[in-house]
Amino acid sequence: MKLARRPRRESPETIVALIDVVFFLLVFFLLIGRMDATAPFQVTPPLAVTGSDLPGGGATVAVSATGGLALNGSPADRAKVLSGIASALTKTPALLIRVNAHRDAELRHLLPLVAEIEALGATDIVLVVTPGVP
Amino acid sequence: MQLKRSRPPATLISLVSMIDVLMIMLIFFMVTSTYLNLDMVPMAERAEDSAAAPGGPGASALLIRLAADGVPHVQGRAHSLTSLGSLIATRVQADPATPVIVLPSAAASTQSLVALMDTATRAGTTSLRIIRLEVRP
Repeated sequence: MKLARRPRRESPETIVALIDVVFFLLVFFLLIGRMDATAPFQVTPPLAVTGSDLPGGGATVAVSATGGLALNGSPADRAKVLSGIASALTKTPALLIRVNAHRDAELRHLLPLVAEIEALGATDIVLVVTPGVP
Repeated sequence: MQLKRSRPPATLISLVSMIDVLMIMLIFFMVTSTYLNLDMVPMAERAEDSAAAPGGPGASALLIRLAADGVPHVQGRAHSLTSLGSLIATRVQADPATPVIVLPSAAASTQSLVALMDTATRAGTTSLRIIRLEVRP
């Protein structure tokens, strides 16, 4: 009599390695990514060679090529931007103000705004630039 | 006689849902992230910087006027960024405390101002100020 051998049960493929890889990728993106409010309009920062590393945090004022303004990603007029920064400065006096101006923005839109922000008491105002030769 | 009921084997927690969540989060971060290489240039003078700012009253300042077309002028003469850089370097070599003062036109672009600041910094200046004229009735 010939006895039929039971077919071997196929062992399921282990998914532990997959979970590890996915988890590492997730942690990687979480660590290197910085959540930042983008401007509601196109902003191409000016090129500069001598810029230093941009620290995180703070408030971001975006200036478009035509002089449009945005505070932390929301469009705002000049008065709203200044009042928003003033209230933020009362909570955090050493608040970093990042001015993200389009490279084609005329200085009449930028310099008076920076002077007004400085007059509010901001001591740390930086201009966002892209590393590169102008 | 008391019969002991055998314990049912502990059920394994399924990992499939966790993997699904991880995968969705991963795809979310991959799709929504934009990677920008950004630097910064200081625009306001900090208190500690102003205390240590060189360029006392004895140092003669170099005034650069930035025209609306982005061309820098020194004493009425137009300069390219290269010639301006060498001019600043010469002045800074003669007197390291030479302050550079930039008077930009309101119609000049942000890029032209940043390029000028870049040139001055590369030429070795440690004191750079931007001044602007305000029209008041």
